[in-house]
Amino acid sequence: MEIKNFTITKRDGSKDRFSLDKIMNAITKAFESVDEPADLGTISKIISHLDIKDDIKVEDIQNQVEVALMREGYYKVAKSFILYRQEHTEDRETLEKMMFLSEYMESMNAATGSKYDANANVEHKNIATLIGELPKSNFIRLNRRLLTERIKKMYGKQLADEYIDKLTHHFIYKNDETSLANYCASITMYPWLIGGTLSIGGNSTAPTNLKSFCGGFVNMVFMVSSMLSGACATPEFLMYMNYFLGKEYGQDYYKRANEQADLSLKKRTLDKIITDYFEQIVYTLNQPTGARNYQAVFWNIAYYDKYYFQSIFGEFYFPDGSQPDWDGLSWLQKRFMKWFNKERTKTLLTFPVETMALLVDENGECKDKEWGEFTAEMYSEGHSFFTYMSDNADSLSSCCRLRNEITDNGFSYTLGAGGVSTGSKSVLTINLNRCIQYAVNNKMDYLEYLGEVIDLCHKVQMAYNENLKELQDHGMLPLFDAGYININRQYLTIGINGLVEAAEFMGLKITPNDEYKAFVQGILGLIEKYNKQYRTKEVMFNCEMIPAENVGVKHAKWDREDGYFVPRDCYNSYFYVVEDDSLSVIDKFKLHGAPYIEHLTGGSALHMNLEEHLSKEQYLHLLKVAAMEGCNYFTFNIPNTVCNKCGHIDKRYLHECPECHSKDVDYMTRIIGYLKRVSNFSQARQEEAARRFYAHAEK
Amino acid sequence: MLKYVNTGVVFQEIPDEVTLAINISGCPCRCPGCHSQYLWEDIGLPLNTEALDDFIERFGNDITCLAFMGGDADPKGVCMLAEYIHETYPQFKVAWYSGRLRLPANIKKTDFDYVKIGPYIRHLGPLKSPTTNQRLYRQTEDGEFEDITYRFWRKVAL
Repeated sequence: MEIKNFTITKRDGSKDRFSLDKIMNAITKAFESVDEPADLGTISKIISHLDIKDDIKVEDIQNQVEVALMREGYYKVAKSFILYRQEHTEDRETLEKMMFLSEYMESMNAATGSKYDANANVEHKNIATLIGELPKSNFIRLNRRLLTERIKKMYGKQLADEYIDKLTHHFIYKNDETSLANYCASITMYPWLIGGTLSIGGNSTAPTNLKSFCGGFVNMVFMVSSMLSGACATPEFLMYMNYFLGKEYGQDYYKRANEQADLSLKKRTLDKIITDYFEQIVYTLNQPTGARNYQAVFWNIAYYDKYYFQSIFGEFYFPDGSQPDWDGLSWLQKRFMKWFNKERTKTLLTFPVETMALLVDENGECKDKEWGEFTAEMYSEGHSFFTYMSDNADSLSSCCRLRNEITDNGFSYTLGAGGVSTGSKSVLTINLNRCIQYAVNNKMDYLEYLGEVIDLCHKVQMAYNENLKELQDHGMLPLFDAGYININRQYLTIGINGLVEAAEFMGLKITPNDEYKAFVQGILGLIEKYNKQYRTKEVMFNCEMIPAENVGVKHAKWDREDGYFVPRDCYNSYFYVVEDDSLSVIDKFKLHGAPYIEHLTGGSALHMNLEEHLSKEQYLHLLKVAAMEGCNYFTFNIPNTVCNKCGHIDKRYLHECPECHSKDVDYMTRIIGYLKRVSNFSQARQEEAARRFYAHAEK
Repeated sequence: MLKYVNTGVVFQEIPDEVTLAINISGCPCRCPGCHSQYLWEDIGLPLNTEALDDFIERFGNDITCLAFMGGDADPKGVCMLAEYIHETYPQFKVAWYSGRLRLPANIKKTDFDYVKIGPYIRHLGPLKSPTTNQRLYRQTEDGEFEDITYRFWRKVAL
C-alpha cells in the first residue's frame, strides 16, 4: 500500500489528515490487550491489506482492519478490536444523549427542544417531557428495523434498502416513528357500554348511571389513548351522555334544566349539574398525561344535525332497548358548545377538537336549518371548531382531520353504530417538492418517477400492516379485539407534503386556474390509482394532506440544505400559499373546493384565517359558499389574544390587553387541529404563524 | 370615465354582507390622512358594465354585495353601474362608499342598498370610531334610509 497525503472523513463529517501512526497504534493496542506479541512485520502485513482511498470514513478503515486481522488468523485480536469499537459506540451514544439533555434544558420551549417530533401539544418542558424525549431515537431505530425486516420477507432486500434510502434522503417521511402504537382512531364506545374496560385491561364494569358514565369515560379515553400514537375520537360522547341523563332525570330533562336537582347546600340546578360534568371531563382530559410523554390525550368529538344523526344512529339501540333521543341530544350538543366557548375565555382548553356534521342540499343550503343557523351563530360568537359538510350522509369526519366513507351504516349488538368507526393505522408521507424536483432535474417524467415512489410507499404500508397483524395475533392490540376499533375500517394513509412548493417549482401560479388544477389532479389522481390498486378485503388506503407543523419545517430545511428550490421555511398544508395576501377568502374556498379535494380521500381541512370575527349572516353565507364550491371540511381561525401579564383571554385579535393594557400578549391559534398558544409552537412554526395572512378589512 | 385599481372580498365594510369591494381611482376628495392615496391618481382599468360582468362571472353567488369604493369624480357613472347591476343581476346588493358630505341631487339614492357618506376627517376618526362624522345608511324595505353606523361600534368582547 502506498501512503500518500490522504484525507479521511470523521464521524461528525469533518475531514482530517490521514495518519498511519494512528492505525498502527490501534492495532498494536488490540494485540496488547490479548497479550499477543506484535512485531512491526505482523503489523505491516495487516496494514498491507487495507485499501485506503481519499475521503475514506473512519468506520470503513476500522471495518477493513477487522477483516485483515481475521485474514491473518488473529481471531482473538479481531474480537478484542471489535469489542473495543462497540464500547466506544455505546459511549458515544450516551455522550450524545447527554448533549441532547443539556440542549433540551436550554431550549426555548418543548417543541423547539424536541429533536425528533416537535409537537406544540406539549406546553411545558420538565423532567417528564425529557423522559419521553430521550428514548425517541431508539424507537426510530426499532421501528425502521421492524419494518425493513418485514419488507425483506415480503418484497426482498432491494426494496428494504430502497425504503431506507428514500427515507434517509427525505423523499419520504414516516410519521410518528417515535411511537410503537398505531396512529389514530375514531372509536365506538358500545363495547365499553356493555362490558366496561375489562376487555382492554382495565378493571371497571359497564357504566350504569350518569356518574359512572362521566367518571368512567375519562378513564376509558385515557386507556384507549395510551394505546394510540395519535388522536382518539369519541363521536358518540354526547349521545351517550344524553342517554344517561335521560335515564336519571327523564327523557325530557332538558325542559326542566333550571329546576333544582341537588339536595346539597349548593342547591344546584340540573343545568349546573350537567355543566359540572362537562367541566370534570374536559378539564381532566386536558391534563398532561404521564403515559403519553406528558402530552394531553388528543380527544375529538362530533356534533350532528338531525339528518346526520338519523343516518348514523337511526338503527341504534341501547342495551335497555331504547333508541337515542334527538331532541335531548340536540339540546345537549348546543349546551356543550355554548359552555365550552365560554369556558375558553377562562382557560386555554385545547380539547376536545370538535367537528360539526351538516347535510346540505343542492343549493348549498343546510337541510337542517336550525343547525345551520346555530353553526353560524357559534362561529360569530367566536367559537372555534371544524365543520364537515356533505350533500350525502355517506361520509363523515369524526377525527380531527380524517374523512371516512361510511360503508356500513348498520347497527350491531356487539359493536354499536358502524358509521362512527374509522382511523388511520399509519401515515407515510411523500415529500412532493423533493420528488418532483429530483425527477425534473434528472430529466425524468415526474409522474412516472412519483409512481415508483408511491408504489414503494404502498408496499411499505403493506409491510406495516403485517407487523400490526402480528401484534394483534399475539394479543397486543386489545382495542381491536374488544371491538373499540374496527380493524377493517382503519386506513393505511399516504400523506403528502410540499404540493404547493412543487407547483411553484413547476412555474405554476397558485390561484384557482386550470394549469394548477390539472397539476393537483394529476398527482392526487395517481396516488388514488395506487390506493385502489392495493386495496384488498383487509386493507384500505387513503390520501391525506398532512398537517405540517413538524414535517413541513423539516422538509423545507432538508431540501434547502440539499440545494432544492425552497420558497418558504415551512411547507404549506393547504392548496394555497398561506402568506399570499392577494387571494380572497372566496379564492381559498375555491382552492379547497371539489376539483382539488376529490382525490384527497383522507381529507384536509381548510383553515380559513380571518383577522376579525364576522357576523352570523356572513358566516351563514360562507357556509353556503363552502357547500357550493365543494369545500367539505373547514374551520375559521381568528387568533385569540391571551395577556401574558394578567391572564385575560379575549376572543378577538388584539395588540393590547383590553383589561390591563399590557402589550405583552400572546395569541392562540389553530395550526394543526389544535388550538394552542403561538409561543408553544416550535420556532420555525412560530415564524410561519406570524407571516400568516389574516384576511382583513381593507378600509 | 371611471377606472378601478383592484378588488377584494371584504367583510367589515358592509355589515352582514360578503362584499366585493371595487377600488375606484381618480378620487377628487383628497382627504388629509387618506389611507389610500394611490387612489387619488387617474390609474387602473376602465370600470364599465363589461368589467362588472367579469366580476360576477368570477365570483358568482359566492358574494352577496358589490361595493363601489369611491367614484366621486363621476357620481352619475356610479349610479348607472348600480342601476345596471340591479337590473341584470337582481340577487346582488349594491353599496357605495362616497367621500362627499352628501350625495349630489341628480343621484337616485334608491339604486343603492347601502350608502356611506362623509369624508375622512382625522380627528373625528373612521367609521369604527364613535366620534366619526361618516355615516353608513341601509335602504329599508319601504325605501327609507336607516343609519346603521352603530354596527361598527360594537366593541363587546365576544
